[in-house]
Amino acid sequence: MVPEDAVGVDGPLFKRALLGSLSWLGANHEEVNRLNVFPVPDGDTGTNMLLTLQSAVEDIKESNASEVSKIAKLASHGSLMGARGNSGVILSQIFRGFARAVEGKSSLTPAELAAGFEEAANAAYRAVNKPTEGTILTVAREAGRAASAASAAPDATVPRVIAAAAAGARAAVLKTPSQLQILREAGVVDAGGYGLQIILEGMLRTVEEAEAAPAASAAARAAMSPAAQASMALPEGGWGYCTEFLIEGTALEVDLIRNQIEALGNSVLVVGEPELVKVHVHTDDPTSVINLAGGYGKLLKLNVGDMSTQHRRILEDEGAPPRAARQNGIGLVAVVAGRGLVDIFQGLGVDAIVEGGQTMNPSTQDMLNAIQAVPYDEVILLPNNRNVILAAKQVLGLTGRKVHILETHSVPQGVAALVAFRPERNGVDNMRAMRAEADRVQTIEVTHAVRDTRSNGLKVKKGDVIGLINEKLEFTGADYVDVVNKALGKLGPDSYELVTVYRGDGATEAELNKLESAIKASYPGLEVEVQQGGQQHYPFILSVE
Amino acid sequence: MSRRFAIVTDSTADLPDEWRQRYAIEVVPLKVLFGTETFRDRVDITDDEFFRRLEASNKLPTTSAPSPGEFAEVYRRLAKDYEACISIHIGAQLSGTAEAARVGAESVEGFRVDVIDSETVTMPMAFLCRVAAESATLDEASAAVKERIPKCRVLALLDTLRYIEMGGRVGRAQAMIGTMLDLKPMFLVADRQIKPVERVRTRSRAIPRMIELFKADLPVEHVGVMHGQAPDEAEQIAAGLRREFPHLEVPVGRIGCVLATHTGPKALGLVYIKS
Repeated sequence: MVPEDAVGVDGPLFKRALLGSLSWLGANHEEVNRLNVFPVPDGDTGTNMLLTLQSAVEDIKESNASEVSKIAKLASHGSLMGARGNSGVILSQIFRGFARAVEGKSSLTPAELAAGFEEAANAAYRAVNKPTEGTILTVAREAGRAASAASAAPDATVPRVIAAAAAGARAAVLKTPSQLQILREAGVVDAGGYGLQIILEGMLRTVEEAEAAPAASAAARAAMSPAAQASMALPEGGWGYCTEFLIEGTALEVDLIRNQIEALGNSVLVVGEPELVKVHVHTDDPTSVINLAGGYGKLLKLNVGDMSTQHRRILEDEGAPPRAARQNGIGLVAVVAGRGLVDIFQGLGVDAIVEGGQTMNPSTQDMLNAIQAVPYDEVILLPNNRNVILAAKQVLGLTGRKVHILETHSVPQGVAALVAFRPERNGVDNMRAMRAEADRVQTIEVTHAVRDTRSNGLKVKKGDVIGLINEKLEFTGADYVDVVNKALGKLGPDSYELVTVYRGDGATEAELNKLESAIKASYPGLEVEVQQGGQQHYPFILSVE
Repeated sequence: MSRRFAIVTDSTADLPDEWRQRYAIEVVPLKVLFGTETFRDRVDITDDEFFRRLEASNKLPTTSAPSPGEFAEVYRRLAKDYEACISIHIGAQLSGTAEAARVGAESVEGFRVDVIDSETVTMPMAFLCRVAAESATLDEASAAVKERIPKCRVLALLDTLRYIEMGGRVGRAQAMIGTMLDLKPMFLVADRQIKPVERVRTRSRAIPRMIELFKADLPVEHVGVMHGQAPDEAEQIAAGLRREFPHLEVPVGRIGCVLATHTGPKALGLVYIKS
């Protein structure tokens, strides 16, 4: 017997519950999208589930049916028509299973509701070719089980059954990273499962409003924001967009701008001069950052990148999950200095960096240590400077590891060689391909003469801007632009496509922009890419290919 | 119409219009969503308009498979004129389309639908549709198509890593290609995977390399050249291949906007089925 004061789930209540789910998912679907960081078929999970749910309730909004079975049937049909993405399709099958379980019923007891949840999960499992645990399927099943257990209690009520289902879903969601490696690696919970949790919580909010005295603990849990729950399983720092740009203006106050940007995100970097300020921030709300900055001046080089992929890369770099062993068993070691250049070389796959270069030549021991530190028995070493090659060669014979020395003379040669490295190719083939690429690229280095001299027929005064092509002094000039233009003219820009400019510590961001514009103006056929190299001694290194 | 079975594919097959008419092939569109605006692939939005929006946007549009209900409607309509149907779709590693087709087919009783996960994307799917169209019965068509699936190859050259990284479909391969430098990456779609095969810094060096990789896979049964807003380069590559291999037809096609969402502008593809 059902107690007299118990509320069953009839058509109008189920309709309100679904509308509650829709509005709660509508408020939280971006949260679900943010979890969607690994290769998922077809777009954002949160958006797909929201659109599917919208389609499910479309006809329900117009219906005054008193029977729960009729509302469930409309939801089943509507969700099937509007299902988007894998999670949406599974959601439609959940509605389908629920509709079948409640067929012919006008109102549901707590036990019948729980049975409906369980049958919904079963239908979802049946619909999928190869069911995977740690996904929305697991979450649906655990929600059904929890609901069923709660319905067996003598004082079971509809809100308690739904509260149990939501709690079961939440617990299952938090466990998904332990079931799926891909989630573990990305440091997130399953997005589809989390979406289902939100749908159940939306129902719970609705039925609790309908109840005179909501279960306090359940209400408290439901009030906890989904973000707070998800963050239990999210890595520190949250998600967002890596937002970068320059502000061009007059009398810009760097400190003031930094303070304001800091309120909008983390990893804030605001540097520059009163006329030009560079801003870098990780934020969930790039629009606000851009609007704020736009008030100070003209924005240049605006770049907003989704951090989800970058974040995963960082995790891998920090060894959170160990990097997958390279197929060919070959490690890469490079000699390079400058923060930006180190990042670039690591981004290209270098396993160990030996700090050094032009004036700071690393010792054989430094290079040997790096080679020994790499988890591979075969290693390719890139000296990236003529003065380092000899010391590098001494490494041969000092280690049991098979070491190839690719005699790169400059940073551009090193980069070109690394781009050609393929993890599935053997050492000899890689060396051949990398050598060919290194030889193909032309290097221009721009610096200031450190003393008066005469070289290659040129008279040079201390402090003059000088330009070297492939390490040979070729030009002196009034400024960076002048020297670079001469060097490019000598190389013959018609034979080349791409110039990469690495800015060193000795040059300002404004000088970099000026140089970039000048190259584009003088040689419109060349593509120009600029990178922050951070190298010392050379305000600019250019790679021409 | 002598054929007793219908042929269905989806818009990511990039089926040439002429084939669609000649073989009476039904195409179900995937969708692209810019915010709340939905466009049906190859139906509602022109290439120029799509790429203009893609490049202007800081966030990728989302792409979406057709719903099971949409497939069910198509199958129900075809059931009036045909005894059965073969439905050839984009690889399940890339999209939920084949899964939606399967669920949709189950809801249409009394009509046999062979749903095929092609494991590939773009024109190889169109080649498979043609193979099916040239078969006498559904059983023969299904067998002929399935036999060719492991031989389908898509060699794709992208102009930038930006879109494929944002789209998140290359999985761990990203670790390999992750870099600040603007590289021109080349991928191979085969064996249910998207494998990075090469990375070069300039396009003029990438194209001959792509052709070299293709030649290493000879002989082939079908080959085509695909592009997203790079028709001249695609025609040039095709003309070169036709000169060198006069027995091959080498059609040139453009990729639809669902695929272009992940490749970005100026993508080129050499697509083929090995013999």
